[in-house]
Formats: sequence, structure tokens, C-alpha cells
Amino acid sequence: MRRQLAVLASCAFVATSGAVSAHHSFAMFDQENPIELEGVVQEFKFTSPHSFIILQVRQQDGGTQLWSLEGGAPSALVRDGWSSKTLKPGDELQLTIEPLRSGAPGGSWSVGRAKFKDGRPIIVTP
Amino acid sequence: MLYRNSIGVVALAAVFVTAVADARAHDETKYPDWSGQWLRTGGIQWDPSKPIGRGQQAPLTPEYQAIFEASLADQSAGGVGNDARYSCFPVGMPRLMSVIFPMEFILSPKITYVLFENNMPRRIYTDGRSWPKDPEPTFAGYSIGKWIDEDGDSRFDVLEVETRYMKGPRTFEGTGLPLHKDNQTVVKEKFYLDKSNADLLHDEITTIDHALTRPWTVTKNFRRERNPSWLENDCSEDNHHVAIGKENYFLSADGYLMPAKKGQAPPDLRYFRQSLR
Repeated sequence: MRRQLAVLASCAFVATSGAVSAHHSFAMFDQENPIELEGVVQEFKFTSPHSFIILQVRQQDGGTQLWSLEGGAPSALVRDGWSSKTLKPGDELQLTIEPLRSGAPGGSWSVGRAKFKDGRPIIVTP
Repeated sequence: MLYRNSIGVVALAAVFVTAVADARAHDETKYPDWSGQWLRTGGIQWDPSKPIGRGQQAPLTPEYQAIFEASLADQSAGGVGNDARYSCFPVGMPRLMSVIFPMEFILSPKITYVLFENNMPRRIYTDGRSWPKDPEPTFAGYSIGKWIDEDGDSRFDVLEVETRYMKGPRTFEGTGLPLHKDNQTVVKEKFYLDKSNADLLHDEITTIDHALTRPWTVTKNFRRERNPSWLENDCSEDNHHVAIGKENYFLSADGYLMPAKKGQAPPDLRYFRQSLR
């Protein structure tokens, strides 16, 4: 019952390649037990020190829960070809995230592990 | 009126002459070309040649090894250990030179500025000054440098820097690898361009600190981006990590506190209860 969410599947592998290069420890996120998350972008915050995807995730009871997902700094994303317009409200995403260890609806996302729900890659222009 | 205009013209001319004299004093041909944006070539750990955390094999004293182990244990439970950076706390020296986000050098004869995308700048004085008496400590410390022409071609190629008078707490990296709380750290650096690649900058950094059993030397390498883009990176804009007392929390999408650790208690609200009486 820790996660009353429709689309969550535990992925038992150690996250390394897509990890966010953070200016601080990301120890609050469980990097050894990433999960799959699908949802609709409510807001893409291109803010410092780190960007955020606010994701609406459908729950089993039909309602939605907002997830606060911390990503790379805007300057780092820009160097990867991203911009503040790369994601728009309403975009449907599929992400492998590293969840908060507390079980609360938060986590970290990374560029290499984010795509559209239908499998299309997120197109960027580095 | 004419008299007032004449004074203005003379004053302007004086400023111009002074500016030209300053420009002449800074003979750019004597200094290396460190222009552009410099990005780290390794990870975010202190010694880029070794894995982060215990893998650093830092020469810590037993007391500070225990402090480090406690930090690692707290982080495995979702805490932040000794790393205060999550709440935008300054990292200070020597961790500044991990250059998590890019840096830029501004060279002049008397001072070299090191600008960071997400931290306050360093000032390295190269005017021959001595150490000040009892200066107020700062996170970046007080840096005195010396330009050296190692190969005798009449152009400086090495900048040697010593930094003292730092403020704490500071750590080497996000794992909480500690420096001593007495803040008596001395950092010695040697900056130079790679001899075969002008777009590669080396910084040999030796840290002398009472948390260490011996001076610890690492080499950081930076690659040059000659056509950089610079963005603002102000940690206070939208940081979702909240420090309350010794606990760290995380802000929800709608701005409420969420626990970061499993089973974490909410903050102590004693003064809110008092105000509701």
C-alpha cells in the first residue's frame, strides 16, 4: 500500500548512468530501487538549483496524485539540449525515477531515463 | 557654462588616460589564455580518479573517519549526513574546485577572479601582498597567488595559490567527507594548461587539514568550452529541500513538507501550539 498508484513497477537495478549530477547529496532518493512512473506533466519548472517535473499520476481509485520530481539544473539541461519548452503541460511521460526513501510522492528524474508514454524519445537539440 | 563643460572634458580625459595606463600595465601577452568556460572532466567526487565516498580512501584521522561513517549511515537512511549543501549552504574551499557547474577566469596583474555558475567567486590576490592579520574567515577563504614562468619564455604558465582563513562547516564532497571543525585548513593549488592540449586545464590541489593524517593531493582537470552559454544558477530560486533543526524534509508539488526518510517524524511545532493557545 506504500504506493497506491496505478502504474508502478519496481526495478531492481542500481541506477548509475542516468543519475543527476547534483550540487548536493541525493541520498534522500533511493537510487538502488528505482521505479517506473507514468503520468501527465502538470508543470515543468526550469528553475535553480534543480528543475522539477510536477507529474499527475493516476491512482487505483481513479484520482490523481501529484509527484514532485527533481532533475538536473537548467544550465546542465541546456548543455544536454533541453530548454524550458522541451516539456509542456499535458505531455504524457514514462519515467524511471528514484523515489524518496520515505514513500512520499517525490523523487529524482534524469534525462536518460525519460520518454513519452508512447515510447517516443524526448527530442532535444544539443 | 563653458567653464563647467571644460571641467567635464578634462575629467573625462583624465579617466580615459588612467584607463589606457591600466590597460598598458596589464600586458596580456604575459599571461596565459584561460578564457572561455571550464567544465569538470570527472564526476562530482573529490578525487576524480577514485569512486565517491569510501572509495576516496581519504587519509582521515580515526576521529574524522568515525564522523564520515556516521554521515554515510545517515545518508543510507535518507538523511543528508554532513552535507549542508542541500539547503543552499555554501560549499567553500576546497570543494568549490569540484566545479559542479562551470567556472570562468578573469585574469589581471593584481588579482585573478574565479567565477562559478552556482557559487560566490574566488579572489586570488597576485599583487605580492602578505597574509592579513586575523581576517574574518569566509567559505572561499583568503587566497594569495603567484604567477610563474616555468619554461622561461617570458610568459606566465603556472599560477600557484595558497588559501587560508576558511569558515565552516565544510566537506570535500556530498557524501559528507569532512574537513576539521577547527577550520585551520590550508589549500595549496597549482593551475596550468596541459602542454599538449590548450583546452585542458589542470589544478593540482593539496589540502592540509587536522581531519587528515597527511596532506592530501588530488588533480582536477577541466575542459574548455570556447563558445559557452551561461545560465543563472541561484540556489534560492526553487530549492525543495528544507532544513529544520537537524532534519531534512522535501517540499511536495503543492508546497507542503514531506518526509525524506522512512518513518521520519514531523518537525517540532511547539511554538505554533503556543501561539494557538
